[in-house]
Amino acid sequence: MIRIKDLVKTFDDSTVLDGVTLDVNAGEIVTVLGASGSGKSTLIRCINGLERPSGGTITVDGNDVTTKAGLAASRRISATVFQLFNLYPHMTALGNITLAPVEVLGKSKAEAEEQARALLAKVGLAGHADKYPQQLSGGQRQRVGICRALAMQPRYILLDEVTSALDPETTGEVLDILQKLATEATTMVFVTHEVAFARSISTRIVFMEAGKLLVDMPTEEFFAENGGLAVPRIRQFLSQIRKD
Amino acid sequence: MRFADFTPFDLVLLAQGLGVSLALFLTTTVAGLLLGLGFAVVHHFRFPFVNPLIVAVTEALKNSPVLVQLFLVFFGIPALMQIRMTPASAAFITLSLNTAAFAFVIIRAGIESIDRDQIDAAEAFGLRRIQILRRVIGPQALAFSIGPIVGILVNQLQVTSLISVIGVFDLTKIGNILNLRTLEPFIVWAVIGSIYYVCAKILAHSGARLERRIRRSYAWGEV
Amino acid sequence: MRVWRVIEPYIGFLLQGFALTIFACLLAIIGAVILGGIVASMRASQRSALRWVAHAYSDIFRNVPFLVQLFFLFYGLPELGIYIGAFETGVIALSLAGGAFVSDVILSGIRSIDRGVIEAARVSGLNDVKVFLRIVLPIALRVSVRPVGSVLINLVLTSSILSTITVNELTGVAKIVAAETFKPFEVYAVLLVLYASFTTALSLAIVAWHRRLNRFMTGA
Repeated sequence: MIRIKDLVKTFDDSTVLDGVTLDVNAGEIVTVLGASGSGKSTLIRCINGLERPSGGTITVDGNDVTTKAGLAASRRISATVFQLFNLYPHMTALGNITLAPVEVLGKSKAEAEEQARALLAKVGLAGHADKYPQQLSGGQRQRVGICRALAMQPRYILLDEVTSALDPETTGEVLDILQKLATEATTMVFVTHEVAFARSISTRIVFMEAGKLLVDMPTEEFFAENGGLAVPRIRQFLSQIRKD
Repeated sequence: MRFADFTPFDLVLLAQGLGVSLALFLTTTVAGLLLGLGFAVVHHFRFPFVNPLIVAVTEALKNSPVLVQLFLVFFGIPALMQIRMTPASAAFITLSLNTAAFAFVIIRAGIESIDRDQIDAAEAFGLRRIQILRRVIGPQALAFSIGPIVGILVNQLQVTSLISVIGVFDLTKIGNILNLRTLEPFIVWAVIGSIYYVCAKILAHSGARLERRIRRSYAWGEV
Repeated sequence: MRVWRVIEPYIGFLLQGFALTIFACLLAIIGAVILGGIVASMRASQRSALRWVAHAYSDIFRNVPFLVQLFFLFYGLPELGIYIGAFETGVIALSLAGGAFVSDVILSGIRSIDRGVIEAARVSGLNDVKVFLRIVLPIALRVSVRPVGSVLINLVLTSSILSTITVNELTGVAKIVAAETFKPFEVYAVLLVLYASFTTALSLAIVAWHRRLNRFMTGA
């Protein structure tokens, strides 16, 4: 379980996260909604250790991510998918996927490649194993990014606006894959703007505003007239999204 | 070992050597930049047959060792043409040509970096080509070229040390003399190296200041 | 042809010198790239002491004439009780000078790498050393092929200076030939053309290699 308690993150003199407390239990799919600049991505970056919290605690299955050993342990059981894919440009799709399983988990190269090929086939990229990122479309790159995360067989997957850099058609291919993933009982923390999609796959939705958690509700309740929609800020946010 | 020790007079020797190095550096810089500019202007006006020649000569100069060029001018030309050549004039000819080759390439790139539309616009206003070169292309090419030119000058300052090999009494030659006399290579070469280092730093520093001033006086934003 | 008549009896001798030039440059470029890679990683490191030392090295060796560096080593090393041949001294001096320039090139390669790519590697659990060796350095080397190539070409041109400490590389043997034939103009003109064609060929090869390596890389 991911436990976040009183998390504070400041950059110079601006406070991006202002006392966030959130638990994500095994098997849950939690979507984080909120306007840009509300601190959603920073929350993900604190969980995976790319940013150091200014205050509060984060543990992943009991591993304190602010300690070196704790972070290393937590990174073995969690994986991140990035908005801009962040694939290694000098490696093929296969190389991107097998690097960490071989180097971090100590798998044999053959075993890692076999698993990577299976993952690529699953996301419809069976014929693209030996292509470089530059030879793939945006949607294909993100699918490789997802495979790279899955290859670590993580208990937790963190997804940071994974479709924001894609056009509407390719967004569909990526969301389909995530939908499949959601049924396989991996725990996910999902930062997104895709409200409709969030509604269809998440078990819980949290809404962030100016570095604070405004609400934290089961999905159904969040979209109910007397639940989330009763909060004026959320109603406004959702109506704006629908207009786009 | 009395004669081998360092004496106060060695400081005078060093100052003389430095003077020779700097004098050669400054004169060849002026001559080289003017010559390079001349090449670039000629190249710009596309005289027949001249452009390939300029390009071939500058490429050969850029792609061969300066030491070999020095030998060619100092030993080769006098033997071929039956003339006398002093080490200093051989050094001057070689380094000027060398600086000119690098300056030509940089200035040419500066001229070619200018948008064709601007030149067309100037022509439409009835400016003559020489006026366009002076008023439109020149200032922009200067701002573009000044940084790289300072870069090659810092390099050319170091290249001057090679003239000691054909017997010019520059700073490095003085180093050779002191080295042989005192048998203190560490001290001698560390001192000589430091003097070059300080000169290079002063040159780079003032070059950067000049570049900032030129760019500011044109007051362009980011292009 | 007049030039050919002068050169012909000495072709074998000149080729020997050329071979020595290539050998020295080959050793020096290996030394320079290894040294440059290490120094660049020091300059990119978090520790200010490492950064300072590495920066001082590359600053000094880029701003002092190679001839002075060469004399410092050639006359200085025996003072330290290190007796090595002129050829070895020359290779060391070329590596040291080349390494300073290569470190500059690789450092800017490192700085050009997309931060997100490095973050992806760190998040996947790779430790700092592995991130550097598997991600940062390979990418930096790929984008640096062309500027490292210019350093290599400069190295070839600079290697002619080794003739001043009695190494009989190409320029060294040419000096001997010029003295024996009394035809310095012909000899040095041929030498100039030889160096120019060698470095031109080298630069074409580097451009081709750069294209090949960066075929599939972003923005290259």
